[in-house]
Amino acid sequence: MGSWLDYTINGLIIGNIYALVAVGLALIFGVSNLINFAQGSVYAVGAYIGWTCFTYLHTPLAVTALIVVVACAGLGVAIERIGLRPLAGAARIAPLLATIGISLVLDQLLQIVFTPDPRALTSPLPNWRISVGGGTIGALDLLIAATGIVSAAVLYGFLRFTKLGWAVRATAQDRDAARQMGVNTDAVNMTVFAIASALGGLSGLLVGMYFNHIDPAMGFQATLKGVVAQVIGGMGNVPGAIFGSLLLGLTESYGVAIFGSSYRNLFSFALLLLILVLRPNGLFASARSTPPEPMTGSFVTPNRPVRVPRWAIVAAVVIAAAVPLIPAIPYVLQVLTNAWLFAMLAISLTLVAGTLGQISLGHASLLLIGAYASALFALDSHWPVWASIPAAGIVTALLGTALIAPSFRLRSHYVSIATLGIGEIVGLVILNWESLTRGPMGVTNIPPLQVGNIELDNPRAAYWITLGILVLLAMMQTRLLRSHLGRIFRAIRDDDVAARAHGISLGRYKAIAFAFGGFAAGISGGIAAHQYSYINNETFTSTVSISALTMVILGGMGNVLGAILGAVALTALPEMFRGTAEYRMLIYGVALLLLVRFRPQGILGTT
Amino acid sequence: MTDLLECRAVTRRFGGVIAVKPIDLTLREGEFLSIIGPNGAGKTTLFNLISGHDVPDDGTIVLEGVAIAGRAPERIAAMGLARTFQHGRVFANMSVRDNILVGAHHRLRAVKPRLPGLGALAELAMALIRPPAVAAEEAALNHEVLEIAALFGDRLTPRLDQPAHSLSYANRRRVEIARALALRPRLLLLDEPTAGMNETETAEMQSIIGGLKARGQTILLIEHKLDLVMRLSDRVIAMDDGAKIAEGPPHTVRQSPAVIEAYLGHRAMGEAAL
Amino acid sequence: MTALLVLKGIDTFYGPVQVHFGLGMEVRQGQIVCLLGGNASGKSTTMKIILGLLRPRAGSIFFEAHDLAALSTPQIIRAGIGSVPEARRLFSAMTVRENLLMGAFARSDRAEIARDLERMLELFPRVRQRLTSRAGTLSGGEQQMVAMARALMGRPKLICMDEPTMGLSPLFVDRVLELIQAVNKEGVTIFMVEQNASLALAIAHYAYVLQAGRIILQGEAKDLARDPRIRAAYLGGETEPAA
Repeated sequence: MGSWLDYTINGLIIGNIYALVAVGLALIFGVSNLINFAQGSVYAVGAYIGWTCFTYLHTPLAVTALIVVVACAGLGVAIERIGLRPLAGAARIAPLLATIGISLVLDQLLQIVFTPDPRALTSPLPNWRISVGGGTIGALDLLIAATGIVSAAVLYGFLRFTKLGWAVRATAQDRDAARQMGVNTDAVNMTVFAIASALGGLSGLLVGMYFNHIDPAMGFQATLKGVVAQVIGGMGNVPGAIFGSLLLGLTESYGVAIFGSSYRNLFSFALLLLILVLRPNGLFASARSTPPEPMTGSFVTPNRPVRVPRWAIVAAVVIAAAVPLIPAIPYVLQVLTNAWLFAMLAISLTLVAGTLGQISLGHASLLLIGAYASALFALDSHWPVWASIPAAGIVTALLGTALIAPSFRLRSHYVSIATLGIGEIVGLVILNWESLTRGPMGVTNIPPLQVGNIELDNPRAAYWITLGILVLLAMMQTRLLRSHLGRIFRAIRDDDVAARAHGISLGRYKAIAFAFGGFAAGISGGIAAHQYSYINNETFTSTVSISALTMVILGGMGNVLGAILGAVALTALPEMFRGTAEYRMLIYGVALLLLVRFRPQGILGTT
Repeated sequence: MTDLLECRAVTRRFGGVIAVKPIDLTLREGEFLSIIGPNGAGKTTLFNLISGHDVPDDGTIVLEGVAIAGRAPERIAAMGLARTFQHGRVFANMSVRDNILVGAHHRLRAVKPRLPGLGALAELAMALIRPPAVAAEEAALNHEVLEIAALFGDRLTPRLDQPAHSLSYANRRRVEIARALALRPRLLLLDEPTAGMNETETAEMQSIIGGLKARGQTILLIEHKLDLVMRLSDRVIAMDDGAKIAEGPPHTVRQSPAVIEAYLGHRAMGEAAL
Repeated sequence: MTALLVLKGIDTFYGPVQVHFGLGMEVRQGQIVCLLGGNASGKSTTMKIILGLLRPRAGSIFFEAHDLAALSTPQIIRAGIGSVPEARRLFSAMTVRENLLMGAFARSDRAEIARDLERMLELFPRVRQRLTSRAGTLSGGEQQMVAMARALMGRPKLICMDEPTMGLSPLFVDRVLELIQAVNKEGVTIFMVEQNASLALAIAHYAYVLQAGRIILQGEAKDLARDPRIRAAYLGGETEPAA
């Protein structure tokens, strides 16, 4: 039983670290109804500031921690002031998208400054462990536990006994009423971001020391875990976030004990979906109350979409089709082929996020499903490629819809959280279902594109095939949008309550939209698999999901042409200017921030 | 005349507050019933219970012999109940035409083949293929949209292709009513259709609603403009604090001391006023 | 008597809907002034523009020498206006004591705040018994008293009350009205928005009647109470007396 105690201790320690992130998220959500997706990035920044202090300044731990806390608090204030306050009065999903943009920018800056390579963040604490029962506890474990308890106590004291703390609580309960008591709610927002960021940064430092490992991409998982913990405890509920974090830490730890370490994250996201479906208000809410509606209304700004004349579209297709005839370097064809593949993903996402109004943050998982389906049909069932790719489209449509279906009754940003979780789960299932997917080895020797016996693995043929399929899918989607289904999808997006009042069943039509979108994305993933000839569970990650969302917003939500344009602009352009490739995510982040702030309807306008 | 709608002891509590105290209400086919009462009286909550947007804690609601309390709003709508919303809920980014067409959703037949288990897939296929029967159905509905829009004079007809967000407030309310009419409702619930309208617009709306009544449309109306209520209603129910405080012919209800007290206060006004 | 609060030529819009049409009114120092009107007449919106929660498109609002149109809500509160919002809007997860002290948020004179808290508990003895309860657990009448005490804790020159009797049982209605009068006698000017005309007129000095965004009637409260046009404003155009 000794090891069980170890797993329990480990679970509680990890839970403590999650709590530092989750409490910040809960404070911010409580005061401004916002999921701060930049929280994990601040946590990563905290870890790197700590590393810099240890490595170059040789500061002792206490001083390092102080520097991290102060610097991250400052960063939090800057995020609130520069990134979010100007968005007051914008669509309520706008600040959420802005925090995603900020997170992309921060992550990429870390990568540029510190290189993408992981670093060791060695704990300066003495390396002793004491035995307790059958398990052991080390100095760092005690420090983390103490930090968690002290932070919780200080936060409790702040909220309970200081004037500013009262203002925070009052604002969280009733913003307007707080203003009518003379509370400056802007200052409250800033305070809350400072506290959340300070705790997040501290958490990053401790985590880095705990695993003796930091890397610039560590923030994303932290945000996810914090969000999961918060959903468990109820959004905006500070004690709930602490409880949720500890529960999450223990669940993961026991899951690892039973099934092995690659299952750690699978357990957290399964727990997330379970809670979202069964108790969307968290474990402490009463069953009857409906979820709060922090972000009703989609990110579709009233506007008049740009009308692109038919001849211009035909001309563009002809020009695109003629590109391979120009003696261009194969590299250009490769880049453009890749852009067409992304465009298929983007039109799929623009249908779901733009036309139907369900902001999906896990769309890349559909590419994964499509890629694996087509690769495995071709390799294991020996299907010809021309059959395996459409079959992959159908599998993706069915599987993708089945996975999201339990979340159909969720609204606004709960949908985003659910899709984010599903996206992670798909990758993790692929990683762990070795008998089917070959697990972490990935799938190798995937046959190239071919029709009959004609191999199409030259760049020109691949280009034309991909472009042709994209045009076909785009035409189908345009036809769909002009049918009664386009009308119904938009009605659900604009006002699902009114839609239901006119006999529209949300589940049925969400399923149709996700199935159609899943088909296009599955085809895209299928083609990609045969082009890449090797895929694994990390071929399409959440970064791809966020990139696709940026493309869709750039082009104009719901706009098919816009999605294609956005995909070309954001895939091809950075490649054309060679030097910018490593700044790609930075460009995406900045583009997202600027769009949300200055042109929410995108280039061609929302439809 | 038979009872189209029958509510028995319908109750709704929010936490400790009883928003609707056990209330009875019946509405006969072809009847025009209005519900009046001060703000917070529970009128809109009662509407939400009838249309399925909220679930009563107690009591029964029967529409055409079928118990509907707790049913999903889309199923109740498919039974022929249409409603408008207090603050107006048009689909802002859709054209006026599409808004009205959404109202006709449950009447679509050709595009929704009855295939057990595969209905959604077949509907998707029909939408993409658009066979003649589907095209004809769309054309017929589009024609009907013109007829419905014509009920509102030249308010909506010239604006059919404009997005709803570009309309004036009064026009948005008209779109909402047009959308509800496209459902060809057996029972029409109107929640403050003239809110935010000036006197001319109110008079115009009154004549439109009057026209519906003359066609035999069964209507349940919530309205604050009592003059309009007096002119149109066959019967009036007054609510205050979640309970029914008076019911009967319009003028009887208006003169009822309970109603005057509900509106003007619990102490009697000066004698001259009464 | 000088005017403490002056509104002139106010036009307010909610999106495309115009709520106020050239609204003008005055609240004189030391008085209880009420604004009456039926549903959707624009009463509550008047409260919102005074408190800076909504900005009028035209017109001016002055409180003493402060141009309220240029101030944010917290600044308006600090200028000496207290608010008793519609439906009370207490901080329901905070205790009654915390709610009262939130009322003094803009002040920093600790000793005086403690003294005022004690004074409130004398004025509202019922509140004292519930001091450590969460505000959300109080009855409507008790909440109304806490909301009034909370506003007084800011030592305002003017208290704005939005429908203070709404949803209260008749017993509490009388009690709340007595308290409003008591507070006024201590020198606090009161501006209240009420649907319940007869109640409001019974304690007010001066009243305005709002219909569809326009002041249609104003005068000394005791005169208005006998005016048949009040009833017309609420119940529609026909003003024939009842049999």
